[in-house]
Amino acid sequence: MDCFVFEAAGKHLGIEARYIYRIADEVRVAPVPLLPSCHVGIIYYRGDLFDVIDVGRLLGKEGRLSDKPSYVILMKWDQRKLGLIPERIAGITWVEDAKATDTVFTKDGLAIHMITPEKIWDTLSELPYGH
Amino acid sequence: MDIDKYKRIFIQESGKYLQDLNTDLIRGEHDLLNRSLWSDIHGKIHSIKGMARALNLDAVSGLCHSLEGWCKEFQGGTMTPNADAVQVLMDGAELLKGLVAATAEGTAPEASPQLDRISALLAQRPDKLIPQTQPDTHPVSSPSKIDHIRVEYSLIEELLARSQEIILLEKTLPPLSQEQISSGLRGWIDHYMAMLRGLHFQLARLRLMPVQDFVSLFDKPVRDLARNYHREVRLEMVGGELQVDIGLMERLREPFMHLLRNAIAHGIELPDERERSGKSREGKIVFEADKRGDSLVLTVSDDGRGIDQTAIQRYLRGTMGMSDQEISGMPREEFLHTILRVDYSSADATNQLAGRGIGMDVIAKAIQYLSGSLAIQSEPLEGTQFVIKLPLSLSIVYAIVFKIGPYTLSVPTSHVASIERAEATSAEQGGDLYDLWDRLGIHPGTRKSTHILKLRQPPAIDDSIPTEPPPSRFAVDAVIGNMPLMVMPSGELLARAGSFAGVGIMENGDLSILLDMEKL
Repeated sequence: MDCFVFEAAGKHLGIEARYIYRIADEVRVAPVPLLPSCHVGIIYYRGDLFDVIDVGRLLGKEGRLSDKPSYVILMKWDQRKLGLIPERIAGITWVEDAKATDTVFTKDGLAIHMITPEKIWDTLSELPYGH
Repeated sequence: MDIDKYKRIFIQESGKYLQDLNTDLIRGEHDLLNRSLWSDIHGKIHSIKGMARALNLDAVSGLCHSLEGWCKEFQGGTMTPNADAVQVLMDGAELLKGLVAATAEGTAPEASPQLDRISALLAQRPDKLIPQTQPDTHPVSSPSKIDHIRVEYSLIEELLARSQEIILLEKTLPPLSQEQISSGLRGWIDHYMAMLRGLHFQLARLRLMPVQDFVSLFDKPVRDLARNYHREVRLEMVGGELQVDIGLMERLREPFMHLLRNAIAHGIELPDERERSGKSREGKIVFEADKRGDSLVLTVSDDGRGIDQTAIQRYLRGTMGMSDQEISGMPREEFLHTILRVDYSSADATNQLAGRGIGMDVIAKAIQYLSGSLAIQSEPLEGTQFVIKLPLSLSIVYAIVFKIGPYTLSVPTSHVASIERAEATSAEQGGDLYDLWDRLGIHPGTRKSTHILKLRQPPAIDDSIPTEPPPSRFAVDAVIGNMPLMVMPSGELLARAGSFAGVGIMENGDLSILLDMEKL
């Protein structure tokens, strides 16, 4: 399958490419209070609102972010919409069909940790809100 | 009661029925013995009669009454329709259309020769009609004016997306030279962009639909369900002219289907049982839409047997391990909300038959997603009422937009009583000043407090439920302005914070988070 690869928290992460809706640049994220620190805010893109998540922070990395990230990876699936801020976008690569939680290796020996939007959503759902 | 408002609703809704009536009667002419069709025709005339009676429009309700007499007989098979009888009904429907139009202009006559002629004909048996000063030709109706078209909702979405992309193009505009600026190009571009933003706002209004159209989607399912469960059920609508976001209603489609299914399967009793309890054989489900403040309040009520409270008690005892004393000490609202628990329906097989547990958690989740709230009222033998209060959905509202710390926030203008400069009000000493910085977790070092927003207290929906009054005054760093916002539901994650009424999009494309002051 085609796999979209990006870097965050010092890791290469891969998402099945069919989940990727757009890569938005030049967007301004509106910060929202009372949300977990990895939730950077929201953006309005082509008629939809996307929650924007700093993947590094979601994975436990600390640090301050700009409210003008270079890129936001937009995903749409079922009725959900999520934007991910990576540290760097690596590109699309082909990997043999892999289970969602597997680590796969490219021909060059690069380790890619596969993640799914549902898994990210589940992790987000477990965080505290409203404080 | 605002009679004019109800008259407008009557004209709008009966217009729709009359339009369908013509089509049905033409079908009836070719399918005289189709009793289900006569039942539909009867239902439409009956609905117009009901509304006309409520407004004391005697000529309209009288004519409807005469027309439905025949339809009832055709529907029941006690009389057989013929072409002449259908013609009389068509003439009657045409006359009805004229009376409704005259009502709109405030000139509805109480009597006319045509009304007398049709009434005299309808007083006879349809199979033994004696013409009454029969006209040479029957009125030939003209096709109605085309004032509506149907479009796919996805087209509207695409148009909105496209218009936003065009607006976003401004960000890629190369820097203008001094010469270009002096030639007026900058002014021209600004004007052009302002026009585009206005267009985008108008396009957004295409997403609004009358609630009546939403409720009409359930006419057939309600009829089918009633037939399957051997119930007699009538679905009524109040406030159908309210315009709401189609995206919001789409999300409520499944939950409402659950509500109606439960009302018919478990709420409304069998006709004989209803009769024994002194009720009419026909059960009634009323769908009411209302705007209170800036909330949309949707109420679904039925006059059935009410929620089975013994089933709830059984669940609380069996599954939740509660004692009888604990159960009786539960607040009423909390007790009834038990039916919203995920495992309520599967807790006990008898609940499936006796209670209202099927899929109620689906409704609760959908409402939570939309940042709404649900109140349940139910009395044994009297019926059940679900009151769904939804925050501002996609629509254009005016709001006071302000900055506080790094956040751009807003409250609907209608909630704001006044805005004062902070230094003029000795803000820091105000005892009732709500500390929004603290609530939102903003570092106090950045506090500027330039203005104080004083809020109106919103009307309580249900006085019987004691609630904390929302904050009445709070300070902000800067007021951006009073401006129209296109408001969208805030989504699942923001809803978890439980403090937002939606997300507002400003004309320049920037976002502002609408605070729900009642929930902060």
